[in-house]
Amino acid sequence: MAAINVTKQNFHDYAAEGKGLVLADFWAPWCTYCRRIAPAFEKIAEQYAGELTAVKVNVDEEPELAQEYQVEVIPTLILFRDGKAAGTVVAPDSKAAIEAFIEEYGRNR
Amino acid sequence: MREIYDAVVIGGGPGGYTAALYCVRAGLKTILLEKLSAGGQMALSTQIDNYPGFEEGIDGFTLAEKMQAQAERFGAETELADVFGAELEGPVKTVHTSEGDFQGRTLILAAGAFPRKLGLSEEEQLIGRGVNYCAACDGMFYKGKTVAVIGGGNSAAADAMVLSRICEKVIVVHRRDTLRATKIYHDPLMKAENVEFVWNSEVTGLLHGDKLTGLKLHNRATGEDSELSVDGVFVSIGRIPASELFRDVLKTDGAGYIVADESTRTNIPGVFAVGDIRTKAVRQVVTAAADGAVAAHYAEEYLAEHKSAALA
Repeated sequence: MAAINVTKQNFHDYAAEGKGLVLADFWAPWCTYCRRIAPAFEKIAEQYAGELTAVKVNVDEEPELAQEYQVEVIPTLILFRDGKAAGTVVAPDSKAAIEAFIEEYGRNR
Repeated sequence: MREIYDAVVIGGGPGGYTAALYCVRAGLKTILLEKLSAGGQMALSTQIDNYPGFEEGIDGFTLAEKMQAQAERFGAETELADVFGAELEGPVKTVHTSEGDFQGRTLILAAGAFPRKLGLSEEEQLIGRGVNYCAACDGMFYKGKTVAVIGGGNSAAADAMVLSRICEKVIVVHRRDTLRATKIYHDPLMKAENVEFVWNSEVTGLLHGDKLTGLKLHNRATGEDSELSVDGVFVSIGRIPASELFRDVLKTDGAGYIVADESTRTNIPGVFAVGDIRTKAVRQVVTAAADGAVAAHYAEEYLAEHKSAALA
């Protein structure tokens, strides 16, 4: 499944108690490095379909969400479990690095 | 186990995708391994004006996507894989990656180089927002503004010269008390009215809001800390070729570049080096692309020779 563009109105429908894992990409159109990770992020959305929901948050349009999760630099990926932020990674440098991040913070503890 | 490819290309920049394009058009079964997305260094460049055919210029990410689409149109495959190691000797080369092993009868190394960074927190996030690594690429964005150049070698001196013609003021920050650059650069730089020097100083921090606003400096001679207001900084403290995984078997020069002449052939038969990872004088998108075409030619020749040798 392709990554879903979310807003502050529907973000908490995806990232909520009982909803499992949500991987959020906080990005903006002017951010060159955000464009670089986008193809890998889409690939991960497909690869992990059924295991997690991949969503994208445009920080220019959704400053409240960026503020709520203290995103000050982009691209930032946050992995949510049952609506709570479990881990954060800034500007991962490969698709493999994003997968390692999911493995690290996505496991039940 | 996957099939054995005729050509495995490592790196999805202009050198890699041009090699893949020429390989598939020559009938070679080709896969390209890229760890993130097409483009390599140029993907972070917001405007490329010296790649012919785009009279209005083009941003590096879009150019990279076009190169990828063009190679894939003829059957090149792309895998988003991080390369951990490789066995280069013998008739079949094996590449170990995050997505498993890939095998090829030829291997084209196009992993590129990356600018050496200052190593400061938030440096990565300020790329394109005041932090730059290429004066020839990004200097025009600072027309009439004040910029700092970090470094004292030839490329820093050349960057400072380029920027002095564009910017209001250029401040060269160097950790020593004299330039390391070749003498021919010294006079014109010292004479340039809008070039100033800050000697014996290291950058210890980046000041910023949304964009870079200045640098924190530490003077190594006096021990003093200070702040310098600038609109942009050009980091010019060298490049690191992404050849680390291959240095035990491939010949490299002192800086780590893979030794190969204009034929792109390395010291191991069937292994080729293209673009910024190779020893060469001019590192540009267009010269990387040219290397890719040359490597495909010699890969094809190598495969033809080895096929006839196997039959004989």
